[in-house]
Amino acid sequence: MTDFPNESFTIEVADDGAIVVTGDLDMAAGPLLDATLVQREEQHPVVIDVANVFFIDSSGLRSLLDASRRAQARDSEVVLRSVGPEVARLLEITGTTGQFRIDRRDV
Amino acid sequence: MSDLRQPPSTTLGPIDLRLPADPSMSRVLRLAASGVASLSGFTVEEIEEIKLAVSEVLIALVEHGVGDHVDVRFVASSDEFTVHGSTRATSAVDEHAPDLALCRAVLTDVCTEHSLTIDDEAVRIAATLHRPFSGI
Repeated sequence: MTDFPNESFTIEVADDGAIVVTGDLDMAAGPLLDATLVQREEQHPVVIDVANVFFIDSSGLRSLLDASRRAQARDSEVVLRSVGPEVARLLEITGTTGQFRIDRRDV
Repeated sequence: MSDLRQPPSTTLGPIDLRLPADPSMSRVLRLAASGVASLSGFTVEEIEEIKLAVSEVLIALVEHGVGDHVDVRFVASSDEFTVHGSTRATSAVDEHAPDLALCRAVLTDVCTEHSLTIDDEAVRIAATLHRPFSGI
């Protein structure tokens, strides 16, 4: 099986514990994002910084929603920090804005 | 010599691509779609909508097909962009495959029309964006 490296997506953990996502949040990014979110789920709340996400599709959103569902099961929540228009629009289209605490990006 | 930077007055395509059925091809497909749409004179905002539709098409193909490759066709004109996709499917139900509710919701909002069929032989999907785009 050929491996196709994903060079368009990175995840870092900031000093304040936020998961900082950079790049395209698409089908290729899902497994790495899922693994990182599961590792950091002891946080309350789970903070995901999406300031540097300029493309997101339904598979990327699914990873975020899965994290939100798991957080809600722990009586916690997921904060999407620095949400830009691309992420906000997809949340609106899919009617999922209410699944997160939203902190919008300053423009 | 023709100037490909100018919006063509006729249809561009069909442009056929065969890609590995791999999630990493999502970016490749978006880049290809961006190029075709740009040649056809679509704006930056419109191209972002096209990229989203194309990405959703690949999600449906990769997550619900069983083939080792996917076939994608772009057809563009000055006021319409269509993406067709297909890949091999099976009658066996994959209980672990994500449902397509989110994918369908995005396509419904972004596209003028779309169709998605999954049967024993193939996953087939078509999505058309017609100017003016609904999301802009």
